[in-house]
Amino acid sequence: MNDRRFLGLLALLCLLLPPVFLAAQGQQAPPQPTTPLPGTARQPSVVLDGAPLPAPVTINPSGPLFGLTALVNNLGGQLADGGEESVTLTIEGKDVVIGVGSAIVTVGDGLVSLSQPPIRGEGTLLVPLDFLQKTYGDLAGYAFEWRPTLQQLAISRQAAREIPVLLDVVHLQGMTTVVLQFQEIPRYQVQRQDGLVRVQMMGDRLAPPPAPPTVTDPLVQAVMVGPEQVSIQLIPGAQASSYVLENPFRLVFDVHMPSQTPSPSTPSLRPTQRPAGINTVVIDPGHGGTETGAIGPSGVQEKELTLTIARELEASLESRLGIRVVLTRNEDANVPHDARTAIANQNQADLFISVHLNSSLGAGAHGAETYFLSADASDARAARRAEAENAGEASEGASGTSNLTSGMDQDLELILWDLAQTHHLLESQRFAAMIQGELNQTLQLRDRGVKQAPFRVLNGAAMPAVLVELGFVSNPDEEKKLQDSAYRAELIASLTRAISRYKALVEKKPDPMAIQPGQPGQQPAQPGAAQPAPGAPGVRPPGTR
Amino acid sequence: MNRRAAAFVLGLALALVAGGALWWWLQSRAGGAGGPGGPAGADGKTSPVPFELWVPDGNGLRLERRELQVTDAPKDRLRRITEALLAPRPDGARLFPEGVAIAGVQLSGDGTAYLNLVWEGHEDPPPSGSTEEMQRIYGLVNSATTNVPEVKRVVLLWNGAQRPTFAGHLDTSRPLLPSPALRTR
Repeated sequence: MNDRRFLGLLALLCLLLPPVFLAAQGQQAPPQPTTPLPGTARQPSVVLDGAPLPAPVTINPSGPLFGLTALVNNLGGQLADGGEESVTLTIEGKDVVIGVGSAIVTVGDGLVSLSQPPIRGEGTLLVPLDFLQKTYGDLAGYAFEWRPTLQQLAISRQAAREIPVLLDVVHLQGMTTVVLQFQEIPRYQVQRQDGLVRVQMMGDRLAPPPAPPTVTDPLVQAVMVGPEQVSIQLIPGAQASSYVLENPFRLVFDVHMPSQTPSPSTPSLRPTQRPAGINTVVIDPGHGGTETGAIGPSGVQEKELTLTIARELEASLESRLGIRVVLTRNEDANVPHDARTAIANQNQADLFISVHLNSSLGAGAHGAETYFLSADASDARAARRAEAENAGEASEGASGTSNLTSGMDQDLELILWDLAQTHHLLESQRFAAMIQGELNQTLQLRDRGVKQAPFRVLNGAAMPAVLVELGFVSNPDEEKKLQDSAYRAELIASLTRAISRYKALVEKKPDPMAIQPGQPGQQPAQPGAAQPAPGAPGVRPPGTR
Repeated sequence: MNRRAAAFVLGLALALVAGGALWWWLQSRAGGAGGPGGPAGADGKTSPVPFELWVPDGNGLRLERRELQVTDAPKDRLRRITEALLAPRPDGARLFPEGVAIAGVQLSGDGTAYLNLVWEGHEDPPPSGSTEEMQRIYGLVNSATTNVPEVKRVVLLWNGAQRPTFAGHLDTSRPLLPSPALRTR
């Protein structure tokens, strides 16, 4: 080989190799957010219904990111910066919790996984396209389209739907229930101001009922249904709380006068004067035996205090309200959870209250909270029941006779038992709210609110059932207070008042059958089920209009 | 140099360039994996992957980013995540008392994960109030469902068996769905 040519080839190799390696390295380089400089490339932009919207856009290799603050200013919602790590965006009453740098956000009670995490930049929080679609798209009805060739985010308001709405107003023993029933789930916002409650449609329009509603009610002056909003005018001093029922979608307002809440000393609450209603209450002192429950810093055990409180509450209910009280345990003993609700069911209890004290892994936790059974627990039970029933049907179909084994029978029976509480969730929620309200008002405790959880002890109760956490024994201050009989007396008074209020509410119902405990698996005429209490609209007891 | 020799040398040079480029491309693919939940190689090799663990915070749980050495097998990820949650945190705090460990992990085709916890010398799980129990149980459940897409629900076992409850509150006799509402603000 000629030396000159060989050297030439070597030089060629030296020239060729570095670009190849550099190109490969370039592929591996970490992606950096880039915003094209003006004049060097098409400037990314945002348009809302065709009009420019001045929101910063950052082009990232994983996709574009958009400045949230400007979007919130133009699309609605509320942004609350929770510090360096999190930001809460409220859209249509739903909270969206964004962890900066986290690709998972919380939308209401659900988790949403994003294509890339929101980051801080350009003086705002930058969010990806799918964040906008899953928040403003799903909650407020906006459509988002990223046009890569134009480097443009096009936002449009989706065509407004016209949703038929039906109105129902029921007054029952001091409380008015206003029910708005929608044919589809609307996008709306509830606003309250000086005795006026407004249900404002967000992008949708309402098809009002054929006849304009005429309302003659002691607590509600008028209800006006327009294409964009429903206005409920209350009488001065009245208060309205709202909640949602599904299938069909209903927005329900309970209107009451705070001063009309009966007190324990109201004569009508005395046992001799009351009709059938809340006659028997089962109190469940949490834990017992080998199950100590929470243990406080000074060694106080939850099981001891819950028994003490249960006995004190028993005495209070018997003496002040004349209610028959049954304890699920009256000694330091292990009582299985299912046995506790069995005691309540066998005694045909009208209320079940499980008394607990709390502990937390975090420091400083304090306050009271009241739970009722979570829907997912009951849904899971329902699914299991369906599975078991289907299995039974399958066996029947195969042989012409039931092939359910005894074990399967037992399982089905247990599942039906588990389902007992599902018929009482609404009333349980109402009762829980009354307990929590009294605890908050009397004790000035931190309001930890009414919550739902799949608590085992609530599953089998065939009556309104709650679990109340009266304080944190893991908190040295509350541990000390809970051992003080004067403080406990205040707790007992709060619980007694809540039961008294609930009792008054239930016993004023005209249909006494509506308060008989139902049996698992049946369609009971129970508050919160087919025959509703106030606040369980859609069906009303006969003769109440 | 004759034409044949020159063609040979040129061909060799081009082969070297192409081979080098291919080698570099394969290297970059293997090393570049490992984004959140991304693949890390199917050959049992581990690589660091960032996860978001649900750890106790005040009255609830918060997300904490943690990088764990995992393979791309969902079961392995589930185990490592659980181990990370059971390990003491930098401040010494623990989700469960010292000695509680993960004895087994199973993942069924329908998305139900089974986590078997054991505690040497203890028949029962640690006693607690309901908030503490929720922090423990949903710390595990939320972390599993958030970070391993194949996991839809979690069954918690204690010493190999399902229990009605761990500490007298939550129903652990059924598969548990995540509870994002426990996230603190």
